[in-house]
Amino acid sequence: MRRVAVTGVGVLTGAVAGGADAVRGLLAEGAARAGARAPGEIPASTLTALFDDDDARRLSRACQLAVGAARLAVGDAGLVPGADLGVVVGTEFGDLRSTIEFVDGYLGRGPGGLSALLFPNTVMNTMAATTAIAVRARGLSLTLNAPTVAGELAVARAASAVRAGRVEAVLAGGVDQLDPVLLEALAELGDGGDARSEGAGFVVLEPLEIARARGARILGEIVGSAWRALAARPHGVGRRAARASAIDAALGQARVAPAAVGSVQVSGAGDVARDRWERTLVERALGTHRPRVGMLAPLLGRHSGVAAVAVAAAAMDATASGAPALVNAVARGGTHVCLVVAGP
Amino acid sequence: MTPPVAVTGLGVVSPFGAGVKAYWDGLAAGACAIRPATLIETEGFRCRLAAEVPDGVGGSVRRSRADRFALAAAREALDDAGVGRRERAEAALVVGAVGGGMLEAEAWYWERHRRPTRAPAVLRSTFPSSHAEALGSVLGLGGPRETCVAACSSGAAALALAADLVADGVAPLALAGGVDALTRICFMGFNALKLLDPDPCRPFDRARRGMSIGEGAAFLVLERADRARARGARVWAELAGAGMTTDAYHVTAPHPDGEGMSRAMRGALDAAGVSPSAVGYANAHGTATPQNDRIEARAIRAVFGEGRLLVSSSKSMIGHTMAAAGALEAVATVLALVRELIPPTVHLEAPDPDVAFDCVPCTAREVAVEHAISNSFGFGGQNVTLVFRRA
Amino acid sequence: MEPKEILDELRTILVTRLKFDPRRAADVVLETPLPKGVEGSIGLDSLDFIELSIAIEERFGIAMDEAQDLAPHFASLDTLCRYIAERMAAP
Repeated sequence: MRRVAVTGVGVLTGAVAGGADAVRGLLAEGAARAGARAPGEIPASTLTALFDDDDARRLSRACQLAVGAARLAVGDAGLVPGADLGVVVGTEFGDLRSTIEFVDGYLGRGPGGLSALLFPNTVMNTMAATTAIAVRARGLSLTLNAPTVAGELAVARAASAVRAGRVEAVLAGGVDQLDPVLLEALAELGDGGDARSEGAGFVVLEPLEIARARGARILGEIVGSAWRALAARPHGVGRRAARASAIDAALGQARVAPAAVGSVQVSGAGDVARDRWERTLVERALGTHRPRVGMLAPLLGRHSGVAAVAVAAAAMDATASGAPALVNAVARGGTHVCLVVAGP
Repeated sequence: MTPPVAVTGLGVVSPFGAGVKAYWDGLAAGACAIRPATLIETEGFRCRLAAEVPDGVGGSVRRSRADRFALAAAREALDDAGVGRRERAEAALVVGAVGGGMLEAEAWYWERHRRPTRAPAVLRSTFPSSHAEALGSVLGLGGPRETCVAACSSGAAALALAADLVADGVAPLALAGGVDALTRICFMGFNALKLLDPDPCRPFDRARRGMSIGEGAAFLVLERADRARARGARVWAELAGAGMTTDAYHVTAPHPDGEGMSRAMRGALDAAGVSPSAVGYANAHGTATPQNDRIEARAIRAVFGEGRLLVSSSKSMIGHTMAAAGALEAVATVLALVRELIPPTVHLEAPDPDVAFDCVPCTAREVAVEHAISNSFGFGGQNVTLVFRRA
Repeated sequence: MEPKEILDELRTILVTRLKFDPRRAADVVLETPLPKGVEGSIGLDSLDFIELSIAIEERFGIAMDEAQDLAPHFASLDTLCRYIAERMAAP
């Protein structure tokens, strides 16, 4: 089993764009900005500054978010792209804007209004595909879809692939964008109340010995990762007395006692019932120990790119305190992810 | 080399109907389920055919069509493996999906285009992850849960991910597979790309003109081979290894040399510890687009050499079932090992001289092989190869 | 349709369907090569050409027969304009 180093982070959101330094800056400002409304749409000017004409023409906005964040992460990690780089992208909604534009072409003009260029974007793996092309990642390419926790799930899956020796280096994180039709439908269906936002974020994970050998800056280490399904109906929250088996498994893998946990980043973002469920699960797993709880939602809202920031924040917490930090995320329907992050 | 993973349960909903038996009977007979599409409007499109799942799958009409397929196939697989309630609480679930409940979402969106229409409850099941949520909840699956979207290789990718979870000891067993129902978006998109044949598809034929779209679901139960033996389960076959690669070349076109494809095949053989000469059959991706079949044949030749390997495409009978394809074809590959019968490539009359293999034209062939591979490729340059070993 | 009109329509298609920047599309002259990889080209790949075919079929009411090798007609806007004019004139 290999040890899993976090060697870079790249994030592209309305609130912050950049690598580890940008994340550090965001967290330092955090206290001052907490309570402010989560940032919504990313301004077009942020993206036009990042892409040349050819990229801007070929890449949908969702793909631009993913590619932009991936390039920032690869740069932050000082990684030389190679055949063994993998990409694991979590997304909740995929490129829904392109999907709707594709369908509108048909509804407005019939078969002649269909766009061959838009069609690939109707499949959720296009962000991973364009990212793989942009950073020349020819190894594993995965797109994981899940409600609200897709980014954390992607990082957990990627960490397990590195740990088992299946990939040499992997970009892991997520991307989501807002869409007016989606927001309208979510409102009509009664979406739990999360502060939805948009953006992309990736961390770079690689085997610790390889990272050390190439002299990489090491932000932290993922010492445990697990994901499980809690009993819940689709779109519902489950029993609060449930055992948080993902946290137990991640701590077990990390050989970290609950009482040794220094801080917890939770996924809570305003969905009251789900957030309360998450808090109960964390408390149950940690027993009487009550570490400091961090929440990125007030700064970033909830989207699949936030996971990368949470991992970087946990690594920075763990580095500062010397105690491992948890990244926890629970979705309606029961998907539960937990990462244990230690300092370098 | 990873610990051996056994296949102990199979479940299928295919264009031949519900159940593994109907599926295998259709494949073994060389039947074709590609017919005029009835589920969606096809007026004005060059291709108006699809391989639709016939009525009789059952399930609540409040669920999406794809969720009904997934539940039926998953239940059959769990029953086949004799997996009880208690074991399910630890079982992993990995679903390969693309369309989700898009067929129903489209119906709403088409209506909304004409007049204001509130979002119906079924819209909650639009995204691919809905299948896993429904399966997990109904069947009580409490282990790791994932939905992977890898375009047309989704079903195979799900099996590869699940095999990792089992081999690594993360879960004692896993239910994994793929599902897709026909959608307007898929049908319109492939029509727009001019990748659909107006007639039933003819993989590896010189006159092939594109694919036929299908739908369905397949799930397999995977567990550690030693565990399966210990509980006395019937082992259909072993999933000996998997390879997953990315072309990183183009969003729709495969790498012209099939470099990513052959890398996936080699990776899978390495993971299985199997030499190319030990493989007797390849269930090809075989979509029947001029480009795929030529490049796939080239990639297979690069790994296995010319001639000896038998290659066939189940898509000639059930169409391209999208996210279900990799899982349905994995079942076909497993059954080919078990029944010692290689399913044919139907409508293959004039083999393409660029395809240097016996593609088992029109009639199934009685051959016993020790190892077989199943190839699945997808937009985005996604390549997955699974290696199965006879039990 | 006059050759000039066809050219203007193709420039519009470059912007609306192929998402070229309007200034870039305005710079394209008859001789500008289209296919990616050719010196001085606007860099169209296989998927772009399918999009262009669909747009031409829709705008000019002609069928682009993919069984035929269309590559010579897609060499530049000049060859494409001629091809479209020919096909529109054909009975």
